[in-house]
Amino acid sequence: MKYQARLPEHNSNISHEHPLKEFALLLAGLAIIMAALYWALGLAVDYVVPMISPEKEQHWFKTMRIDKGASHWISQDNTISPYDSPIFESLRSCANIEVPLTLWQVDSDQPNAVALPGGDILLFSGLFDHAPSENGLAFILAHELAHFKHRDHLRSIGRGIVLMTVTGFISGDSAALASLLTPAGLATQAQYSQTLESAADALALEILNCHYGHVGGATEFFENMLKEQDSSAIAGIEQLNHYFSSHPETQARIDNIEQLRQQLGFDKGP
Amino acid sequence: MFDIAVFLSLISLGYFVGRYLEKRHYHSINTREQALIKVITTNTKRPLGTLGKVNKVELVTGNAVISVDYFKRVAAGLRKLFGGNLTTYETLVDRARREAILRLKESCQGATQIINLRIETSSISQGKSNQIGSVEVLAYATAIYADAPQAGKQATAE
Repeated sequence: MKYQARLPEHNSNISHEHPLKEFALLLAGLAIIMAALYWALGLAVDYVVPMISPEKEQHWFKTMRIDKGASHWISQDNTISPYDSPIFESLRSCANIEVPLTLWQVDSDQPNAVALPGGDILLFSGLFDHAPSENGLAFILAHELAHFKHRDHLRSIGRGIVLMTVTGFISGDSAALASLLTPAGLATQAQYSQTLESAADALALEILNCHYGHVGGATEFFENMLKEQDSSAIAGIEQLNHYFSSHPETQARIDNIEQLRQQLGFDKGP
Repeated sequence: MFDIAVFLSLISLGYFVGRYLEKRHYHSINTREQALIKVITTNTKRPLGTLGKVNKVELVTGNAVISVDYFKRVAAGLRKLFGGNLTTYETLVDRARREAILRLKESCQGATQIINLRIETSSISQGKSNQIGSVEVLAYATAIYADAPQAGKQATAE
């Protein structure tokens, strides 16, 4: 037998498939599994949440309530104080919410409001610049009351936990994989959240109409936001962000509120 | 938003740069293998055929460490869930093995035969999660430097 010095013509030790093909296939498979899991567990959350009465919720989240004498919220930078609103109690009874709720003002430039589990509603002081009139602020309060009434805060907590669990289970200890999957989940969640916002807007109009007899000022906040956006934001970035945003785009929201108003037959007000 | 941008740039950096470097490495491996093909290299304990006067025998080693890129790591992470051939890591091992043997051969230029070639492999970051995924291949062998066999005798296997 003679020794022949020759290199193999074909490297059979490595795969000759395009790496992107395999990657795309695996990613698609995983996305489908994750979407199915998230969808099923999300439905379970939606099924369970209406069974939790506001009383039960307040009992469960007792330890998470903001302390009556609290002066800061989360970080030292955000000072917090109880907010006194003469219309709030009346709006609450219009919304048929029987449990007591606490209204807080948080010092922050953000124009935002949040309903927390347990019955705390936070108003970030940036809001007041964008909703200077009583009616404008009333719509925001009514909107948060609507969230509370619809138990949306519990839904978003439930879905948040589901998303984290599903992502965690699938990606295991791979941080890279988790960062790949989380945005996909967040986008799905944002989409869901936008439908909840529309429903909350509809109930907010009803609450407003119950209190004032008309829904004037409902879009004041969003119109002011829109003016500010037009002068600052670049349209393209705004569009892209909308995909991940939990709230509908501002102009779409104004149109939506107007449409709802017409459907419900409420007076536009002065 | 920022997280996704970082992730996408890392993964495309890994894919494009990783692919370019791998192509370049394979090109280098193929050329060098062709250049060094004349040296008889076996894993047998004894030299092939008949040798002339043996001048020197020495232990030679070649060592290579190759790392995966970001793209391959993410792809392997996905593969880990479903099972199957971990194709993205195949080139990693293939390159490390061939590079180690090439380095071994390059370290003993002028040798008549390289016998008893052995390969060992290990993962540098073994057992630690989220560490650099890399493989080390050590090739070691005995290089024989000998004069040409006397006239009339051909190199044949025993």
